[in-house]
Amino acid sequence: MDDQQKYWNPVLETLPQEKIRQLQLKKFKQIFKWTYDRSKFHRQLYARAGIKPDDIRSFADIKQVPKVEKSMMRDIQRKDPFPYGDALCVPLEDVAVFRQTSGTTGQPVYQPDTWQDWEWWTECWSYILWAQGYRPRDRVFIPFGYNIFVAFWAGHYAAEKLGCEVVPGGVLDTKARILKVQELQATAMMGTPTYILGMAETAKSKMGLDPSKLTVEKITCAGECGASIPSTKRRMEQAWGAKVYDHAGATEIGAWSFECSEQPGGMHVNEPLFLVEIEDVETGEIIEEPGRRGKMIITALDRQAQPCVRFDSKDVIEWADAPCPCGRTTRLIKGGVVGRADDITKVKGVLLAPSAIEEVVRDLDGLGDEYEVIVEKDGDTDRIKLRVEVLPEAEDQCQLIEAELVDQLRLKTNLRYDIEICGCETLPRYEVKAKRFKDLRKKE
Amino acid sequence: MGQQIDIKKIDEKIQLLKKTTEELNQQCQDFPAIARNTVRILASVKMLEINVSDLVELDA
Repeated sequence: MDDQQKYWNPVLETLPQEKIRQLQLKKFKQIFKWTYDRSKFHRQLYARAGIKPDDIRSFADIKQVPKVEKSMMRDIQRKDPFPYGDALCVPLEDVAVFRQTSGTTGQPVYQPDTWQDWEWWTECWSYILWAQGYRPRDRVFIPFGYNIFVAFWAGHYAAEKLGCEVVPGGVLDTKARILKVQELQATAMMGTPTYILGMAETAKSKMGLDPSKLTVEKITCAGECGASIPSTKRRMEQAWGAKVYDHAGATEIGAWSFECSEQPGGMHVNEPLFLVEIEDVETGEIIEEPGRRGKMIITALDRQAQPCVRFDSKDVIEWADAPCPCGRTTRLIKGGVVGRADDITKVKGVLLAPSAIEEVVRDLDGLGDEYEVIVEKDGDTDRIKLRVEVLPEAEDQCQLIEAELVDQLRLKTNLRYDIEICGCETLPRYEVKAKRFKDLRKKE
Repeated sequence: MGQQIDIKKIDEKIQLLKKTTEELNQQCQDFPAIARNTVRILASVKMLEINVSDLVELDA
């Protein structure tokens, strides 16, 4: 039965687009009214724009609803009720779960969830895991430091809901985690691309173990773009002998997107549960057609305690131009989340997305997984330095590798780089989200 | 696959489950083991509504 059933929800996941749009509009009206009636912060925001719940009749009306930015959420938390502030839509005693954002871009945002919200988080993840082939026979090892960050908590409980056996790899160190995967013959894992690659490197270089000979069949990634960058995905798949799938989510939003087992070169937006709009960064126009990048404005259609209504996520995405062969009717975003609007920076007058550099570095066979990009000023001129690690077996090919890097980077990013080739394991290692792009110009 | 599933019939069962659980919750406010467990059941029932019932209402 489980193997025959392809979809977690055979009704919603095969709904015609027209019906999905009707459902989204209906649910947007509901969550907008819920938020307007209960959140002082939102009510004031909408009052300034002159919008009330009855004004929302069409998608054109939705475009007029003011966006919420992360900085606003930080300001809210200085108000009552402590510690969440006046966007809280339920009594404090109904809050069942506290999480906070990782704070990589500033002061963390606190996120309250009711028990229903937490069921909803788990439900969102159930769509993801089922689409990626998780089934009750799986033993899922989660090498995640269970803490105040939401990360893989919902993945854990969704795997339980699916009937999988879940092994929480909490406070173990990397070696102990690898040994536990081996001992228990785990069939699936979840982790950031950085950590999944780091585990493979530790297994090979420090334990003499080949991770591709272990029993892991599938890995679900989150937290970074890597699993949607073809060369990074390939490295992880080769290292572990497993299929690697991407998913996208955020503490303030929920788990809104996932790659299915077809690996179509993009991710499905779970449209019955989320309304995703793509906004042109220059004009503010909502982009409907495939092939044009913009930043994502997202609404979680069922989240209640601290709603997410037209949240400016800064994620850069674009619609794909073809449906997925898996049969799901929800739209795909091409290449996953390709960057963040606040990561894309101008160097020498050229727009640069750091993910393009990763794609080139991880595509070269003689290089290790780690790299570092440093942008700095040399007088009035921007200089961009790329530090990479050469693998021991390729140390006699440094000149060739450097020439190939320069060529490929110029082709992919239209920029010239100073290349520094370093020895193996000399660059910083990261446990969770990596910080490989350093723009030193901003400190000047 | 979608056509073989009668979502209206599924929704009828969901609403029955919801009504029963709400009644149980109301009757047992002084019985924490029932009151708190029914809150959890109602959260799960809401997931059933998200998965099916919201669509039924759309067709109505």
